[in-house]
Amino acid sequence: MTNIVEAKSLRKNYGSFTALDGVDLTIPRGSISGLIGPNGAGKTTTLKALIGLCDVDGELMVAGRDPRVARHKLMRDVCFIADVGILPKWLKVSNVIDYVEAVHPRFDRKKAEKFLSTTDIPAKKRIKELSKGMVTQLHLAIVMAIEVQLLVLDEPTLGLDIIYRKEFYDRLLNDYYDGNRTIIISTHQVEEIEALLSHLLFINKGKIVLDALMADLSDMYTEVLVDPDMLAQADALGPIHIRELLGKKSYTFESVAKDQLEPLGELHTPTVADLFVAKLKENRDG
Amino acid sequence: MDKFALLQFYALAKREVLEHRNLFVGAPAMVALLILVASIWVALQLEQAELAAALEYLAILFDGLSPFDMAPFFMLLAIPFFATLYVCSVIYLINTLYQDRKEMSVLFWQSMPVSNLQTVLSKVFTIVVVAPIFYVLIIFALYLIAMIWLTLLGISNDINLVGIGWMFLAALTSLLFIYISAFVTSLWLLPSMGWLLLFSAFAKKTPLLWAAGVFILVGFLEDFVFGTQYLANWVESRAANPNQYFIFDFQSVFEKLFNYDMLFGLLVGSILLAGAVYMRRFID
Repeated sequence: MTNIVEAKSLRKNYGSFTALDGVDLTIPRGSISGLIGPNGAGKTTTLKALIGLCDVDGELMVAGRDPRVARHKLMRDVCFIADVGILPKWLKVSNVIDYVEAVHPRFDRKKAEKFLSTTDIPAKKRIKELSKGMVTQLHLAIVMAIEVQLLVLDEPTLGLDIIYRKEFYDRLLNDYYDGNRTIIISTHQVEEIEALLSHLLFINKGKIVLDALMADLSDMYTEVLVDPDMLAQADALGPIHIRELLGKKSYTFESVAKDQLEPLGELHTPTVADLFVAKLKENRDG
Repeated sequence: MDKFALLQFYALAKREVLEHRNLFVGAPAMVALLILVASIWVALQLEQAELAAALEYLAILFDGLSPFDMAPFFMLLAIPFFATLYVCSVIYLINTLYQDRKEMSVLFWQSMPVSNLQTVLSKVFTIVVVAPIFYVLIIFALYLIAMIWLTLLGISNDINLVGIGWMFLAALTSLLFIYISAFVTSLWLLPSMGWLLLFSAFAKKTPLLWAAGVFILVGFLEDFVFGTQYLANWVESRAANPNQYFIFDFQSVFEKLFNYDMLFGLLVGSILLAGAVYMRRFID
């Protein structure tokens, strides 16, 4: 599998604040990658760098191009939805469709209109008259009608109610993703996208603290609900995180063989949310 | 430029008109309405006989005269529209790139395969070519209403309308020169356009204050360090003396377009526009 994104030593400072502190990442082509991190971790800066909206130091190639050099050419192959309602408020829905049709060579108007016909969005309304959920639906309709290699979503469902959020991801998976396109989603609502992901990136304080395929997680990470009489042995194996669970202690291990862990207690693969907390605390403490 | 690039550019210019329709259509329409209301008010103050006499005077004045000779008269009537166009252009240029960033719609515009050069050029094109078209169309509508009114007045007072017909021809001819004047003036003022767009792309807040402040600072530094005022004098030579903006015949179009001062201004303007394109590259 080739990589659609390859970044090495990305650095970005805003005054004295370091937003990206040597980010190395690769995004496999055809993957659905989740970029997970707390607020201020560098998610949005990373995504903006990928589409050439932010000047960063370091090596960066996206879909075979350097986004800092020819953003407009890159945007023929990449689409972007941001966390804020970025569609211009003064435009009518029909104006947005007309505009995108005129400027984007890979936009299929019929597809967009077909998608919109399944929503309650009226073509004559201005963006400012639509609810946030409708604006997101409209943006998704536009993006889904563009034939691109890479879709970048920065907290796309932020502020939406559960119905819109679920519909957004259902549409994305069922109507858009075809196994060839690549999707990068940044969010801190980890549970909602866990089932979609094939690739996982954790970012914290401007550094990538985890870069793994979802399929490899169960081999790499194990959570053990340790029997009370096995705590000393568990401690000796160097857990990356320990937490209290139902009166017992749950240990998270990284790259420790299963046969070493089995005697300690009940084994299972940590959820992405649990792993996220574990890696962040490891990063903070260690 | 291929067909798709032309369609792209058309869409960019259309976007500018849609977004700033208040400046390009609303403002001149308001000026036209004010002129119309003022004219009606003046007409209502006159006796019917005085009105008829004034109309007859105009009919005799214009009868048989070349529309090209009489066009300057109507150019002067268009001065309020020129003034409105310049004020609206300044408002547009200083806000257009800044506003996108302020309301974050820049993320949408930048997510399309449109270069920053295309974006900035479309804004220049809108001011130089498109905005004057709307102003001229609205002036034409005003003249048309005036002519219909004068014709009805002439018929009701049994006045020979041939002279009024010549007057209308002169008014129509003036529209051509109004457009050419606005076009040439915009090119003449390209350095100002570049300066405003540069700070519209650069400033995080109050772009007009930045544009004015930096200009004053640079002028002050030149005076303080070198003891000269070349910058201030050069700007004054371009911005002052409004009658240099009016073009009354085709001969002066070439004189005003093809001279070293104009070409130097275009060069300075282009450099400043390149700066605006550069500033537009990144949104943070």
